[in-house]
Amino acid sequence: MSEQVSRRDFLKLAGLGAATTAVLTGCGPASRYVTREPYQQMPEYNLVGVSTYYATTCRECAVGCGLVVRTYQGRAIKVEGNANHPLNLGKTCARGQATLHGLYNPDRVTDPIKKSRGDFAGENINWDDAIQVVADALKNNQPNEIAFLLGTSSDHLFDLVTDLANSAGVNAPVRFGALSMFESRATLSKAAENLFGQAGMPWFDVANAQTVFSFGANFLETWLSPLSYTRGFANFRKATETKLRGRMVQFEARMSATGAKADEWIAVKPGTEAMVILAIGKLVAEIKGGSVPRIFSSVDPLEVASQADVKLEALQHLAEMFATSNAVAIPGGPALGQSNGLAVAEAVLALNVLAGNVGKAGGMYISALAPNQSEYHRPASAQEMQAFVDRMKNGEIKVLFVHGVNLVFELPNAIGFKEALSNVGQVISFGTFPDETAVEADYVLPDHHGLEGWGYQRVTTGTDLPVLSGAQPVVSPYYNTRSTVDVLITAAGLAGGAFASALPFADEVEFLENKVTALMSESSGSFSATDNAAFMAYFQQYGGWWKNVDAKVSPSGSTAFSRNISAEQAKFAGEGEFFFVPFVSPTLGEAGANKPWLQELPDPTTTVMWTTWIEINPETAHHLHLENDEVVRVISEAGEIEVPVYMYPAIRPDTVAIPFGQGHTAYGRYAQNRGANPADLLGLHFNEAGDLAFAGMKVRIEKTGKFKPVSRNESRMGVYGEDLGGEEH
Amino acid sequence: MLKKIFNWLMQPIGLIAVGIVLLSVFSAAVYGISLTQQTPPQPIEFPHQTHVQFGIQCLYCHPGAAKGPAAGIPSQAKCWACHNQIEKTATSELLVPLKDAVLNGESIQWVPVAIVPDFVQFNHRAHVAAGKNCEDCHGDMSRMGIAENPQVMNMGWCLDCHIETAGEDQEKLIKLVDCGTCHY
Repeated sequence: MSEQVSRRDFLKLAGLGAATTAVLTGCGPASRYVTREPYQQMPEYNLVGVSTYYATTCRECAVGCGLVVRTYQGRAIKVEGNANHPLNLGKTCARGQATLHGLYNPDRVTDPIKKSRGDFAGENINWDDAIQVVADALKNNQPNEIAFLLGTSSDHLFDLVTDLANSAGVNAPVRFGALSMFESRATLSKAAENLFGQAGMPWFDVANAQTVFSFGANFLETWLSPLSYTRGFANFRKATETKLRGRMVQFEARMSATGAKADEWIAVKPGTEAMVILAIGKLVAEIKGGSVPRIFSSVDPLEVASQADVKLEALQHLAEMFATSNAVAIPGGPALGQSNGLAVAEAVLALNVLAGNVGKAGGMYISALAPNQSEYHRPASAQEMQAFVDRMKNGEIKVLFVHGVNLVFELPNAIGFKEALSNVGQVISFGTFPDETAVEADYVLPDHHGLEGWGYQRVTTGTDLPVLSGAQPVVSPYYNTRSTVDVLITAAGLAGGAFASALPFADEVEFLENKVTALMSESSGSFSATDNAAFMAYFQQYGGWWKNVDAKVSPSGSTAFSRNISAEQAKFAGEGEFFFVPFVSPTLGEAGANKPWLQELPDPTTTVMWTTWIEINPETAHHLHLENDEVVRVISEAGEIEVPVYMYPAIRPDTVAIPFGQGHTAYGRYAQNRGANPADLLGLHFNEAGDLAFAGMKVRIEKTGKFKPVSRNESRMGVYGEDLGGEEH
Repeated sequence: MLKKIFNWLMQPIGLIAVGIVLLSVFSAAVYGISLTQQTPPQPIEFPHQTHVQFGIQCLYCHPGAAKGPAAGIPSQAKCWACHNQIEKTATSELLVPLKDAVLNGESIQWVPVAIVPDFVQFNHRAHVAAGKNCEDCHGDMSRMGIAENPQVMNMGWCLDCHIETAGEDQEKLIKLVDCGTCHY
């Protein structure tokens, strides 16, 4: 072609084209396409063109990280961590960053709604009528027929409802969250109680340890306090003059993103964790010399090695590693969500006692209690939720208020929460979003988004200091929403009697001031003030109040070895041939599916976005004649779901795994009808502490003949014999 | 293929076609450029000259110019502070949008006329502090109704003034023409 058109002519033609393009596109002034929307009333302290920053607390999960939110002309535009906050020291996770997508979510509930169940559409009502509905519900029912189901955030609402329960006799609020279910919080605290005589949230000082053995704990993803554990992990990996770079071993059947960071991955057979830990304990005790404590003496390492599918040499090498360095063992994840989960947790804590690290740097502690807290409080376990649902089924609950938790989605289907709602006379949701639970409510009285509201959150674990993290509005509410605390205070006033005297506050801010200024008399605070107004102003400015005192508890392990821990294998429910490991999506968590930033964020191990997948070992897939993206039906004793296959080499061939976080039937345009919910597969089996044995199921897999291409970031070319043609389905 | 097109273009009819295309591109460009020179329509036909004639200082409504990067557009509350005491506010057709916006609590969507691209970090305060008057860049508002932009705010225009301001002072010149002064 170049022989026919001269270079000169070609350049002329190209130049003409470029000039035309430039003229046609380049002339429009940008000013014509933008508008400026000034404040209607500008706050006095604001300056046009200069951002204002507010300290508040993240509400995306219950951890209570401090945030500093940049606002511009009354709009929140960027979330960062609060550098002064002792828990997260200026860092945030992806979910914290994406809280803006909740604030600006196009599917938010904008007005109070009166509706029929099963459908979100209804008629908008005004707030006076809505509050009257709440007041009537309080007044016209017996107090013991009124119940509150609350999420794990925020604590100030929990305290308000607790006050209401104590004074007016309504049922004490029940708190639940899928995250705490998958963290098996009841098991952790029960194990601490059994071994140390003290219930509480164990805290593992990863930063100062030399060796970390994690038995399924996904502490770099969603577990308990991922930001502070991640910081601890970073320091753990750093060699200093006094310590070597730390070494980590992860024991789990399916390699999590945390497991991917470990030096060694030990894919123990699901259900054998307890015996593996006890065997390691026995070997460690032998290496250390002296008599083997009775708690470890019952196991035979050789027998364990064959049952757990681990080589005896590996166990010996691990025991050597554990015995000869400053080691800490962490229990968590699927290892606790089994029928013998409590035994696993106790065995791990006993291993720490054996290592002699309890209450020492690089070891384990019981977490500090938050400032305005006298004893450890944990969310309800799945078994307690089942008892609550049974009360609903029996018609003992006439009015149910729901805030901050999407129970229809987060509880296993088998528990029958949705069906039990039909026996509850009136369901009032305070949902900010049109989630599955709000769909089943009679009224939706939307609370503000977390960035529009007041509050505080107690930090349960993750720092040495007792921290009360403070929240304040960073923007004025965008819609006709109202704070649930305000709604309850006003409604209690209208209901009169014991309700009015239980909540003698003018509004939420007065309530908050009442609770927060009670800390003024405490010593060693992060700040002090002599009058309430100044104390509250500092509380807002610093994003909370904390005591500059190391308050983590060093429990006594003296009686720990007198426990009897069964080394038996866990029992698995169902007939299938595969162990089933559901895990919380590290990117979505339990409520992130309606935020496009999180949907678009690739999963750290598989790089999959926007959907649910099932992880199957390539060997197994080959054996079953399954291909990538082939949709399979996963069947358990409790139900079945359909998900596309992702061939994942880092999982045992006898195990399959599905992330939890998608599969919504409501919850807005980004979440709805996307993926599947593995909670539908979970049967009602509990461990000894009452936590759900979510990893105690066996499942079957059937081919459906359908294909569903999974969007993923990684290239598949050259993997398992695939080429570009392999992608065409 | 390309050769064929070239041959066709060399014919009289091809030349005419090229002429027509060039002409239409040229007129479209002229029209586009002329559009940029017109004052954009505003939600309220705001008469600057009237306000200036009443002796209201620029900084009364645009106080940000002396304090920070953006001069700012006054909030409706500021407009209303005077206008709700003025009889004409109730009667004038031109003021209906203001009245509606204030009473309904809605924002007025103004169209900015003097803006620079996002990669320019313009700050009013430095210019006011250096003794520049508003009219030096924005023109004489006592003769303008709806705000117009009297010049093309491009880099050459900025630099002309920066160089002139620096005068003989070499150190100042370096500061004022450094890329990082405006692009950071």
